[in-house]
Amino acid sequence: MAIDVKGWASKFKSLTDSDPTIAAMGKYYTCTFMYDMTDRKVIVEMHDGKVKHINTDPQPLDAYDFALRASARTWREFAQPVPKPMFHGIWAASFREDLKLEGNLLVLMQNLRNFTVQFELLRKSGVPV
Amino acid sequence: MARHSPVTGRYVTIDVDGLEYKVFYLHNGTGTPLVCQHTAGCHNHQWRGLLEDEEITKNYNVIAYDLARHGKSDPPLNVEWWKSEYKLTADHYVNFIVKFCDALELDDPIFMGSSFGGNVALQLALRRPDRFKAVIPVEAADYAPGFFLDWWRHPHANAAQVCASGVWDLMAPQSPDMDRWLTWHYYTQGSEVFKGDLHFYSVDHDLRRELEDIDGKRCPVVMMTGTYDYLTPPEATENTARRIRNGVYIEMTDIGHFPMSENYPLFRVYLKEALRIIRDRTGD
Repeated sequence: MAIDVKGWASKFKSLTDSDPTIAAMGKYYTCTFMYDMTDRKVIVEMHDGKVKHINTDPQPLDAYDFALRASARTWREFAQPVPKPMFHGIWAASFREDLKLEGNLLVLMQNLRNFTVQFELLRKSGVPV
Repeated sequence: MARHSPVTGRYVTIDVDGLEYKVFYLHNGTGTPLVCQHTAGCHNHQWRGLLEDEEITKNYNVIAYDLARHGKSDPPLNVEWWKSEYKLTADHYVNFIVKFCDALELDDPIFMGSSFGGNVALQLALRRPDRFKAVIPVEAADYAPGFFLDWWRHPHANAAQVCASGVWDLMAPQSPDMDRWLTWHYYTQGSEVFKGDLHFYSVDHDLRRELEDIDGKRCPVVMMTGTYDYLTPPEATENTARRIRNGVYIEMTDIGHFPMSENYPLFRVYLKEALRIIRDRTGD
């Protein structure tokens, strides 16, 4: 069965926009990043702590600040309610698994608190691969 | 009625390699001194659970200090420390701990530290087995490269948040939210020293060729690592312990790199086992 990426995007946006931990310090959480799941890519555009847009069909020249690239298997592990060791975060998976952090990592670091909180929402939304 | 904790804090001034430090420490308990080192870029409040653990403090004098430049221990008071970059070395770190234990006249203490505190525990076992009854290196290994990063104090980013969220997934997702966020909170407070601490952790600490020189019979070494530690994964600790004569390895399930701070109720189960092993081996 084909995974409904637009349904996933809607759920991920809803979870993000209603998350109190992000909202507590959401001001200035503004950046654009790609989740590259190998079999599918999405670009998430954040503005002041809210999802402005999720591009579910990125084209070659669509821009973003930084990207997280890993196998679909790794992304499915990220999305487990309680991930296994080494799949429990972007640092863990980049040190020990196949996650690659690419692009302007300064932007990632500038937004690391909220990005990390939002990334863990994948445990509730699942992933579209 | 004031709800006081039994934990009290004091300052002691020591001289280490020509540097004058006024060191803050928390303590509670009676019996064998159990000296506790916090993790890099943090402070002694990470040991808050142990310090108030009635069962352990009944038999152990738990002492958790702030390393110089951390928490309430200031940088050296007799030099213009702000004019040079802080890079902790194994030599200075070991000398600091020994001078601190000497100042408090601690007799045959057990030393326990986590992460860069665990790595220095190995250094102590190698260099000063005469001074310590035993060591408990937590989340430690013979060599731990990869964390001496410029990101920890990059002027274009919020260093407090980079340090705190940069170590977030060193903790296990099962650990309680409150304790993980408290640990995060502590990490926002030490961002200016984190990278300098990691100079010891990832650069100057390298015992790959010296593990066989550690005599775990003279100074028992009980190593413990959590399964969610990506920086010093369990196999790194286990391989280190195996190369130490009489070294012991305990794997801690469903906990991460800051076990005493992120989930003390779980950590204490393993700590009690480590202390039991030390009692057996030292005849206490």
